[in-house]
Amino acid sequence: MSIIKRLRSLFVGEEDKEERSTVGKKSVGIGVTSSKLDNAIVSGTKTTVMISGVVEKRPIKNSIEEKLPVIEEDKHSTDEEIPKAESENFDAEENQEEDSLDMIVDDQPSKDEEDVIEEESLDIEENSSSDEEDNNTVDELDSTEKVDSKIKNDKKRDNMTLLTDKELLTDANRDSEFTAEFIDAGIETVKHCFQCGTCGGGCPSGRRTPYKVRQIVRKCLLGLKEEVITDDALWMCTTCYTCQERCPRSVKIVEIIKKARNVAAHAGYMAKPHKMTGVFVINTGHAVPINDAAKSLRSKIGLSEVPATTHADEKALEEVQKLCKITAFDELIGYDEATGGLKE
Amino acid sequence: MEIAYFLGCIMPNRYPGIEKATRILFDALDIELKDMEGASCCPAPGVFGSFDEETWATIAARNLTLAEDMGADIMTECNGCFGSLFEANHMLKEDEDKRAKINDNLSEIGREFKGTTNVKHLAQILRDDVGYEKLASLIEKPLDLNVAVHYGCHFLKPTEEIGIEDQAENPAILDDLVEITGAKSVDYKDKMMCCGAGGGLRARDLDVTASYTKEKLDHMSEAGVDAIIDVCPFCHMQFDQGQTEVNERYGTDFAIPVFHLAQLYGLAMGLSAEQLTLDAQKIDAAPALAKALGENAK
Repeated sequence: MSIIKRLRSLFVGEEDKEERSTVGKKSVGIGVTSSKLDNAIVSGTKTTVMISGVVEKRPIKNSIEEKLPVIEEDKHSTDEEIPKAESENFDAEENQEEDSLDMIVDDQPSKDEEDVIEEESLDIEENSSSDEEDNNTVDELDSTEKVDSKIKNDKKRDNMTLLTDKELLTDANRDSEFTAEFIDAGIETVKHCFQCGTCGGGCPSGRRTPYKVRQIVRKCLLGLKEEVITDDALWMCTTCYTCQERCPRSVKIVEIIKKARNVAAHAGYMAKPHKMTGVFVINTGHAVPINDAAKSLRSKIGLSEVPATTHADEKALEEVQKLCKITAFDELIGYDEATGGLKE
Repeated sequence: MEIAYFLGCIMPNRYPGIEKATRILFDALDIELKDMEGASCCPAPGVFGSFDEETWATIAARNLTLAEDMGADIMTECNGCFGSLFEANHMLKEDEDKRAKINDNLSEIGREFKGTTNVKHLAQILRDDVGYEKLASLIEKPLDLNVAVHYGCHFLKPTEEIGIEDQAENPAILDDLVEITGAKSVDYKDKMMCCGAGGGLRARDLDVTASYTKEKLDHMSEAGVDAIIDVCPFCHMQFDQGQTEVNERYGTDFAIPVFHLAQLYGLAMGLSAEQLTLDAQKIDAAPALAKALGENAK
């Protein structure tokens, strides 16, 4: 959910500055609650309010690049401010955009910046008119999205790059041992990937979650261990093999994902429901153990009440339990022998 | 012919009608299904495979040794079990280092993986060992049903290793098997897409899983099918129980009953909904059954 946090912090931070620096300036969208934000991060729509805020408060002599650090800095001061921002529920005013526009012009007499402002003003005008079409149907939520994406878009455009300093990776981020794990596990094909994106193109998870299989494969090859194993998206793969079937380089993509998950699990990144599956197997030999309903169904149709598996064979179950000890699987998931559950 | 019958977890412990149908079908085919006494979970590839390959391979290998002791090939009718057992068997036959490591573990319980069994899927046995003609001779009640065939993921893929079909993205085996019963396999959009349950996703994030399932159900509905046919109890559970979860989340009213291939054959052989435990499934199968058997009732 870091994206949400970041978007929110960008927004709230900006908003806050705006309030401080401009008297009587009303802002749109500040009343958005976090739960609303949760559902609203994807829209690509635009608005003008925020960008006007950025422009007007900018004490910058010339370069727009300086906008970037300014925005980044805001991130730090945000968390405490969220409640405050949320408590101030402003009504969205339709004329907001025009007001902002005026203020920009008033506040920014500097010649150096005029070009920039003009450019942005153009955008603003465009957007204003399109906003007016929507008129009252645009709620605060939409405004927020627009604001954020506008900032993002401008950032990208103005800097001619998708990267911010924070996103730059250096050799210090790389862990060659992580890459070696794949090679040692026999997945040499991780090196064959030429990043064509066929995998992601067919990925059913990628079209509904932040799971980017092509990127993960690349990160595994580059040895970006922390990036890979700390990302929850790693667990959004159903191992359906669509990517691997279509890969023009025959990269064993699912093997790579599973190996990366192994490393993540051994570093402690395991979801509780998954650990519980392990607990069930240690306790019963089955990931989905029998229950009373199934017992009665089985009897009713003439099957043995309990299947002839570990469910019916204590010694067999002990074998499974012993194997889980030998491989230290019980320790891995934090199995508590005394309670038959998890230690935490 | 004898086969070591691997039950897995979800089939015997949630949908025993699938097991019942399979036993009756193989009786009729004169193939002996021998219980693999003391077998465990395959183990679940989504969790064990993702957490620790060694544990996954060790427990899978233990199951494989049970069949080796019986001197028989293994049959499973769960894609998850098939994937796990097939992959482990394949890996341990090919990779001597891993085999040595796993056998080291197994020696602690007095077992050894020898590599003398093969892992087969129910549908594969029906096509390759039984044959379509013989199957057709068993059909007592041709079923008047339009069905959406769901292959699932770990039945055919990775193609390179499993090799049941040359083209896992355009297969025929299940459609052929379904049509022997009289049912019609209706094509639908993104037919080969995953149900959403696998890889540990169902346990980890039910919302994402439901989103997969809804997409499948949307496409199946557009094609106007009476039922869904699967060859995996996990997919089966996802389409049965998961369908109610989709309806809860999306306010939809999907009501497409779900039959495992073995249940479909059970119906065609004249077994009742009760014997197939269809009456215990979440999605009511009665309307589809009435249609399926309607003409024969005349």
